[in-house]
Amino acid sequence: MKKILGLLFLTTCAALMTGCASGPRYSALHSSETPVPAGDGRIYIYRKAVLGAAVQPDVRVNGEVVGSAVPGGYFFIDRPAGNYQITTTTEVERTLSLTLDPAQVRYVRLNIGMGFFVGHVWPELIDNQEAEQAIQSCHFVGK
Amino acid sequence: MNALLKCLCLAGLLLPAGCAFDISYVKKLPATFSAATASAPDFVLQQDVTVGLGTGFPTRLRRGTRWHLVGTTEYGGVYATKDQIVTVEASNIYEGQLIISNQCVTGFYLPVEKMVTPVSRPIHVEIQTLNSP
Repeated sequence: MKKILGLLFLTTCAALMTGCASGPRYSALHSSETPVPAGDGRIYIYRKAVLGAAVQPDVRVNGEVVGSAVPGGYFFIDRPAGNYQITTTTEVERTLSLTLDPAQVRYVRLNIGMGFFVGHVWPELIDNQEAEQAIQSCHFVGK
Repeated sequence: MNALLKCLCLAGLLLPAGCAFDISYVKKLPATFSAATASAPDFVLQQDVTVGLGTGFPTRLRRGTRWHLVGTTEYGGVYATKDQIVTVEASNIYEGQLIISNQCVTGFYLPVEKMVTPVSRPIHVEIQTLNSP
């Protein structure tokens, strides 16, 4: 019985771990990131929640796939100042619309909630001070 | 056969429940936005304000935040702040800017959508106007 429980535990851990990010942490990488190009702004997109690790939809910015919602992962994109819509789709589509000014840095957290068949992932604009704390332990999953 | 029917009924009941996550919409109205040309005095919010839009996700404005005029619409002056994130939330989330008319919150201007989401009843707010713009 103990063996079966142990095996079950290990299998569960392995299943959970495979879905998580494993690149360098934001805390280690952030200081060496390339500066934001002149006229552009930067958007960090991160996901803290490990719950629903198997649900990793594409993240689209104005329709273009820029990454995936990897649990414990983050990436960033530099874009010209303007208006942007960040979208994730599972069984429903969730959109966040935001403005980006030149040299502005914004943080978008990907949350996960319950769905009918599949969890819902939705992007939320987060205050920079709060996000800079929360993102420290996230692993880089960008290109 | 009876069991199959029961399953179908149950599925029929559960499906709309699943969809309920996606039926909260922000009312958006067209608006004419004119960017502010003249400088106007900033103001500081003197109280926490909760603005409900009937979506179940109220927008909270923090006391002590400083707001500056960025434009006007037919609903009032449009103000932005660097002191907090302002979003209007339903199934989707929209960045918003505060609309004030006669010291009342009348709604939010959505700069990406270029539309206004009005409050059902204007909310009076206590503000402190700052002398220097």
